Amino acid sequence: MNQIIKITFALTISCVIAASAMGLAYTMTAKAKKHNHHMNVYNAMIGLLGFGEDNPAPSDLKFLNVYRYIVEDGDKKFLGYMVPVEKGTEEAYEMVLIDLEGNFVEKLEVPISAEKAEEAQDRAKALQKVLAAPKIFAYADASVIATSGGKRLGYVLPRKFPGFRTFIHGIVAMDPKFELLGLEIMEHEEDAGLGKEIEQEYFRNQFKGKSYEKLKTLEVVKKPLPVEYKKYLEKSKWEEGMFTEEQIAEIRKQYKDADIYAITASTISSKAVTDGVKNVAKKFAYRIDKLDSVLKKEKIHAAF
Amino acid sequence: MAIKEKTNKQLFVDGILKENPIFKLALSMCPAVGISTSVMNGILLGTAVLFVQVCSSCTISLVRNYIHPKIRIPTYTLTIATWVTVIDLVLAAYVPVAYKAMGLFVRLIVAFAIITMRLEMFACKNPLPKSFWDGFGMGLGFMFAMMTLGFVRELLGSGMIMGYDVLGFKPLLYFVLPCAGFVTVGLMMGFFNWIEVVYERRKKG
Repeated sequence: MNQIIKITFALTISCVIAASAMGLAYTMTAKAKKHNHHMNVYNAMIGLLGFGEDNPAPSDLKFLNVYRYIVEDGDKKFLGYMVPVEKGTEEAYEMVLIDLEGNFVEKLEVPISAEKAEEAQDRAKALQKVLAAPKIFAYADASVIATSGGKRLGYVLPRKFPGFRTFIHGIVAMDPKFELLGLEIMEHEEDAGLGKEIEQEYFRNQFKGKSYEKLKTLEVVKKPLPVEYKKYLEKSKWEEGMFTEEQIAEIRKQYKDADIYAITASTISSKAVTDGVKNVAKKFAYRIDKLDSVLKKEKIHAAF
Repeated sequence: MAIKEKTNKQLFVDGILKENPIFKLALSMCPAVGISTSVMNGILLGTAVLFVQVCSSCTISLVRNYIHPKIRIPTYTLTIATWVTVIDLVLAAYVPVAYKAMGLFVRLIVAFAIITMRLEMFACKNPLPKSFWDGFGMGLGFMFAMMTLGFVRELLGSGMIMGYDVLGFKPLLYFVLPCAGFVTVGLMMGFFNWIEVVYERRKKG
């Protein structure tokens, strides 16, 4: 008995010490960690829109988030879009409910500030107030609409889709006509030397510039990647004078409607990414179309 | 019992060569097989293990007189887990570039046999300076083994060294897969044993 008490006491003390050490480290690093993650995503988004060191982003570039929720009311299901709206100078959010056929149901004001809207917990709290029981809501995804000078520059879609091992987290960017601006792979667990190659430019950049029409029928082909095309795709390895303007235009024209060349020995990963991008793009194009027509019809002045 | 006390330098060198965690003690084979696909991976994981090993060894060595003998293993695990978490958090916050490459590995260290084994065999019986050198040597030995494994597998599997294309083609793609890890570890183990045997023979003869 004495032993048991002694051991319990010793273990408890060790656990308390360990827990306080970990807690201390967490509170000291939480802010910097979050900032890093935020900057990572932000830089990826800027890059996908085609801005970089030699082409700085315009100062009035704004990233506006549209959050999609699935809302259930009894046995009826709706899509709820939390959209930023213009209201004087301040940014406000409105929840627009649309039924599954794409018809407007109702709009609700969400009492939340732009800063707090980025936090999933704060958002859920604010939504709880307007979507009271028996309505249930579940977060689906967030889409980012990039605007500059009141015009849309493009859509940036952070999404996850199934890969060969687990989910692949990526960002798909499209211009307002749904032409692909690019693909960025943020997190994945594919095999090194095989599926991991999806990170490489020669694979990712194949998606760049694919029109929406082509995207619908995009396939993966098991053919070797032409050498010249590979050199062209690896933009970060370009040297001065490697390609003339005409050559670039010609390559671009030649491969504009080409399918995606599979990575050697990683056809499944290649196919998973291609299908993922295809799905993300097609679904988003359909949804934003419906949302836009509803916003127009109901005269909701969204900030984008 | 006339076991000679080892000096700090001996402890340090033994960790790298005579008692190398992977080639001699055959501990922590999972990471050796799973992650040593490139030299860079070896360096990153090696550095992380080095830190955790040194920190845990020192901690346990400091509190060795207060640990209840019946619950020493949970205490070791707790110590390792705490250090891994702290290092994970600090890296994520202040060295995001390195964290992006080694984040996944750092969390794996909690389950490494080599660290627990060093705490049980050495740190809980020896004073701080000795434990420090032992941990440092073991960590470096692990890093050295991971790097040599990574070198062989990266060169044969992807035709690259440190991410630079040196061969221009991939000689044996099979070497990047986990099963080839076992083959490589086996061959390297044999190679290092052979060196030791030759060395001992020379010394005698």
